[in-house]
Amino acid sequence: MGNTHREIQELLADYAGALRDGGLPTFLKSLTREEAKRISESEDFWEATEVVRLMNSAGFGDNVVTPDVGLFISRVDAGIASRTKKAKASTRDRSRAHVDMQ
Amino acid sequence: MDKALRNALKGLTAPDAESRRRAMEPFVRSTFGIFIRHLHRYLGNEVECEDVLEDVYADIWENPEHLRAIDSERQLLRTVYLYYMRKRLREVYRRLNRSSYLSQNDVQNLVAPELGMCDLLSQSELKALLHRMLGKLKARERKALELWMSGMSNRAIANQLETTVGAVKMLEFRTVLKLRRMLKEYCEQD
Repeated sequence: MGNTHREIQELLADYAGALRDGGLPTFLKSLTREEAKRISESEDFWEATEVVRLMNSAGFGDNVVTPDVGLFISRVDAGIASRTKKAKASTRDRSRAHVDMQ
Repeated sequence: MDKALRNALKGLTAPDAESRRRAMEPFVRSTFGIFIRHLHRYLGNEVECEDVLEDVYADIWENPEHLRAIDSERQLLRTVYLYYMRKRLREVYRRLNRSSYLSQNDVQNLVAPELGMCDLLSQSELKALLHRMLGKLKARERKALELWMSGMSNRAIANQLETTVGAVKMLEFRTVLKLRRMLKEYCEQD
């Protein structure tokens, strides 16, 4: 992504590459003001991104599935536990504030 | 929709939080593969997909209202994308956007777009459809896209096609737009 005057087809190729390699932030940071404007004004670019996403999904979507769903479930459960704790703490703070005011 | 997922959905919409928490495990088991593949479409990064999905499941647990009366996997994916995933996807690159010249709106359209054509197809349906559509392209166009989808760089594709990297990028761009027109026609007929 060294070129700073990329044409729209080059920008699409770089977006597709970044999506495939999991490096979208690098692509976004690499854009110059002029390139960002070019993207913004190009209907073709936006239409093409739709297909690129589908191709990326069909080509590489299967690589993403983690074999250990159990581990992921425990992460979700920990997130839920943390939200429950926060909700309880905020209820307690509110009732304490109410008592202090009295 | 299979029985395990239907039961998990029933548990998820229970009024008390503890029942919903218990229902989360079978729900995650039934939907993890579908949701993570869908997120991968927008982010392309496994770690980010898992982080986003973790928040999505916790949001569902906290506010499962939108999941009442779901009767198919496609409807489930659509609802989860529109009401839970999109919000989280938008947040992913919001911070980064400060160092990008792309407008907030454009970043959002890139990372968390409206649901487009074919977006709700399952992985196997999508693969079959793309395979069929690629078969309708000219040999050179098809080869460029197939090589790209097999993980090759543009330079490697250029070597294979005995042309320049610039020509490959132009060929891919034109072919992707052609493919989009074909997919649009197909979706409108369908």
